[in-house]
Amino acid sequence: MEEKLREELIKLFESKLSKPMQMYLETCSRCGICTPACHAYASMPQAKYTPAYRAEVVRRIFKKYFKLQGKIAPALGAAKVLDENTLDELYEAAYSCTGCRRCMVYCPFGIDTQQIMSIAKLLLIGANAEPELLTMLADVSVSKGEGIEDMKESFMQGLKRLEDQVLEKWKMEAGEMEAGETPIPIDVEGADLLYVALAGAHSIIPAAAVFNAAGEKWTLSFFEAVNFGAFVGDPTKTKLILDRIVNEANRLKVKEVCICECGTAFRVMKQMSGSQPFEVSSITDVHAKYIREGKIKLDKSKLNLPVTYHDPCQIARNGGVIDAPRYVLQQLGADYRELSADPKYNWCCGGGGGLVAMGDETHDFRMKSAKVKADQVQQTEAKILATACENCHAQLSDISKHYNMDVEVKYLSSMVADALIQ
Amino acid sequence: MDTIYYLVLVPMIYLAFFVFSVGTIIRLINIWRKPKFPTTLQIYPEKKPSWLWTLFDTFLLNSARRHNPVLWFFLMVFHFCFLLLIIGHLELIKDFRILQIIEHEIFLGKGFIGLILSISLIFFLFRRFVSPTKDLSVPEDYYLLILLFLAVIFGSEMDWARTLYGYEEMGVEDYRGYLMSLFLLKPDISFVDAPGHSFMLVLHVFFANLFLMFFPFSKIIHSFLSLPLNKLRRG
Ligand code: SF4
Ligand code: SF4
Repeated sequence: MEEKLREELIKLFESKLSKPMQMYLETCSRCGICTPACHAYASMPQAKYTPAYRAEVVRRIFKKYFKLQGKIAPALGAAKVLDENTLDELYEAAYSCTGCRRCMVYCPFGIDTQQIMSIAKLLLIGANAEPELLTMLADVSVSKGEGIEDMKESFMQGLKRLEDQVLEKWKMEAGEMEAGETPIPIDVEGADLLYVALAGAHSIIPAAAVFNAAGEKWTLSFFEAVNFGAFVGDPTKTKLILDRIVNEANRLKVKEVCICECGTAFRVMKQMSGSQPFEVSSITDVHAKYIREGKIKLDKSKLNLPVTYHDPCQIARNGGVIDAPRYVLQQLGADYRELSADPKYNWCCGGGGGLVAMGDETHDFRMKSAKVKADQVQQTEAKILATACENCHAQLSDISKHYNMDVEVKYLSSMVADALIQ
Repeated sequence: MDTIYYLVLVPMIYLAFFVFSVGTIIRLINIWRKPKFPTTLQIYPEKKPSWLWTLFDTFLLNSARRHNPVLWFFLMVFHFCFLLLIIGHLELIKDFRILQIIEHEIFLGKGFIGLILSISLIFFLFRRFVSPTKDLSVPEDYYLLILLFLAVIFGSEMDWARTLYGYEEMGVEDYRGYLMSLFLLKPDISFVDAPGHSFMLVLHVFFANLFLMFFPFSKIIHSFLSLPLNKLRRG
């Protein structure tokens, strides 16, 4: 590796050294308590899949360039020079970690391996060694946002085609239609709620039906929720993708931004948008609120098979939405079975951190590392596996096929929309 | 031999305390000067009051208890005994009434605390020779444990060594004389250099000095960082 590149990478490393990050890097006692926490290790017991080993790949570089010990006696802490080999190790460490933060619950100090892996991801970007597909997706997402004015027309036409399907799930009153309300309102200034969906009808139709049923004054965002910048670990792109939604919410003067079923999008919006004049909520939270306030009524007789719910890591353990989905399932009349007695110990689906978005490249690893997840689901004997994240949905569907599981993976929001009582 | 005794018992102690305190302070200041993290790093569900749970996690090693009870047992024993030894050493400087709330003899534990500590250290060391902990460990981890073990074993067994001479040699008053002289910057090792088991003191002090000098450059900084890190997790 050229010296100039190395220097640039070290600068990038330094840019990540916030107070908590420095403490995470200084503190690990390599006690190994976190070892069984990682689904990858639990499914494939190899040292390289333990959280602390992954973190050590980054920590050894930290010692080399930022610590006196690494400069005076590098062998003591096995400090490592940043070179091509280390980049390969960083790649393997970062892209075998889904950022689920289950290990953080185990660690006596609460060391956040996802944060440490964000350094690995940034160094890989700096060295042009990150997964190309993720960068491409992030770039497409950024440029789509930049060219939104040109695309507005075709986007709105596309939405028109979905309106009938929304009306199939929830018929609007004639009065509402006469008042100019549409099944999928867009760009409505003064709406109460801005809904940020994913690209795809499955993320828009059920949500729209439920908003209409609840009589919500809502509007659909022009932008898609998913933040590929966060998957690839690029802070600049993460912020660009986030900011345009924040700006749209402020322009429309909404009181609430509701994020669709996407764990990363929810966590980024909830925790990184800073202090804003609007609240950030997950769609599951909003649905639970409608039921509690009697704004929607659900048919309790529809679910006649046992159901379990997979807590998306970024929404539950890392985002705090834990009670709402359970309440919704209870209101759906489900024969509900918990995957894990304590939701904060739920196994990750194995598809986070950009792994699902990387598609076939990661398929083999995703399936092998999700063995514990498959076992966990099968133990409940549930026939419906609900979840509230597209990424988890895709991964769980893959797992279900791979392990021949007799289970149907469903979006919680669709289950709510299907059970609406007119 | 006298010169070696003197070097270890006087200048090396001063040096060790200097490196320990200045090094630790600089390291902590360096951390505190870093920018704040812009958002929460909390884990959910949250339990209130978070500060109380933070104390619980930090001092009772809650997650270790849940996920590795055997290791937790030894960790608790180790840290508790370590605390007792710190109290024991403070009382070798002078009487602290507050430390005698629960009345006890000086020096606390009569060597047994050190022995228990040594057993914990052997356990920590041995588990580092077994995978997967072995694969995570770096030389620093072994050296620190070995250093501590040597410091503790020579220190704790001094009291037993005294019994060989009918308990007259090098008692609490002698240690107090020696430590006070160090404190007053008028070092006098005549209290503790009598023939017999004073070599154990020199070895104890030597390894303890090395440990102290290693401290600011090692992972043992977790003794200061565990509390703020646990607070971050609790939110
Ligand atoms: S549990 Fe925490 S301190 Fe122990 S090895 Fe894992 S990350 Fe390090
Ligand atoms: S964050 Fe999740 S995937 Fe990453 S090391 Fe920790 S437990 Fe494993």
